[in-house]
Amino acid sequence: MNRLFILRNHRNSDFVGRALIRVWALLFCSSLGALAQNTAPPVNASAPFSIRATHLMGLENTKSNCNGTLSIQDNALQFQHGGKPGTKLKFASVQAVFVGGESKQVGGLPMKLGKAAAPYGGGRVVSLFAHKKYDTVTLEYVDDDGGLHGAIFQLSKGQGELVRDELVARGVPVRPGEDQPTKQSTAEVAHENK
Amino acid sequence: MKTSKRSSWIIWMAAVVAIMVALPAWLPAQSAAVKSFAVGSDSATQWSVQVDRVDPGDLDLAYSFQVAIYENLLEELNKTKQFKQVFRDGDRSASDVPNLLFLQTTVEKYTPGSETRRAVTTVSGATKLRVRSQLLTREGKIVLERKVNGDVRFFGSNLRATHNLARNIAKAIKQSPWSVSEQPTVIPTGQL
Repeated sequence: MNRLFILRNHRNSDFVGRALIRVWALLFCSSLGALAQNTAPPVNASAPFSIRATHLMGLENTKSNCNGTLSIQDNALQFQHGGKPGTKLKFASVQAVFVGGESKQVGGLPMKLGKAAAPYGGGRVVSLFAHKKYDTVTLEYVDDDGGLHGAIFQLSKGQGELVRDELVARGVPVRPGEDQPTKQSTAEVAHENK
Repeated sequence: MKTSKRSSWIIWMAAVVAIMVALPAWLPAQSAAVKSFAVGSDSATQWSVQVDRVDPGDLDLAYSFQVAIYENLLEELNKTKQFKQVFRDGDRSASDVPNLLFLQTTVEKYTPGSETRRAVTTVSGATKLRVRSQLLTREGKIVLERKVNGDVRFFGSNLRATHNLARNIAKAIKQSPWSVSEQPTVIPTGQL
């Protein structure tokens, strides 16, 4: 009888110990989460911000499809390419900012030629994995005459929202309905399903 | 031997006759084509155009696509040299221009594609766009209306469809016999 009692007590203490460990682990994880939330950098409207980007089209006096640095300073957005003083866009002239996503094949022309030359359709298998997701930031702005311009930048995945947040913090408006997935016309969908 | 020589001689003579008959008919046709193009471009250079913002219609076309179509249209219309000046939407300096047309673009169909699908399958994943392009006068009179397609089927990113579309619209405007003073040339079913 005494032996049984001792055994039960032993089991109880083991159970309590495990429960304590679990509670401690739970608390530790939740505190880590809270810590991570607190350490997320707040958007500081006055701090300079710069990020690597590719200018796809639209910015005046800038080549299309060129890599550079997109920076946000004081009251203007600037795209610099090759160390030259880049085109500046004042926030007052920017009418809207949109963020979207695109998936593109990587490697450019050499990769395309390599894939085409690969025997037994090997290039297609490579294509299956050789793609990368990007963010696109689209800006609508007006020039001094009031003419509407549109500029599109390509950034690494996840950075589009950072740029948008920075711009929004500086008073650039965001259009409603942004980030919505593109929909097909119903007629086209029906046609595709046939 | 003799018969083969004769038959080759007959063929040769027939070819010479065919060329002699076809050449006079071909030369005036070519010169007429050049002449008509020159006349068309001369009359068109008097006009300027303002490109309006792209209307997505009922479709949820990505903003990057709308902006890309607009920017590519401006570039392609400038390239054609069909118009004296090409203005942007909202440009205040366009209000003083006497002969101004407005180019309105409405998206009618959009099939989002995938570059990866195109690369893997070749036959599927095409990005397709179809728009209705209208050239209007200040009074709202339609001078030209065309339905134009633009797509990317094999190589290139999805945004390349907008470039192809803009090029096709510019080509359609250049090749169409539009005229403002006479009866409007409305070709609603014409596709490029």
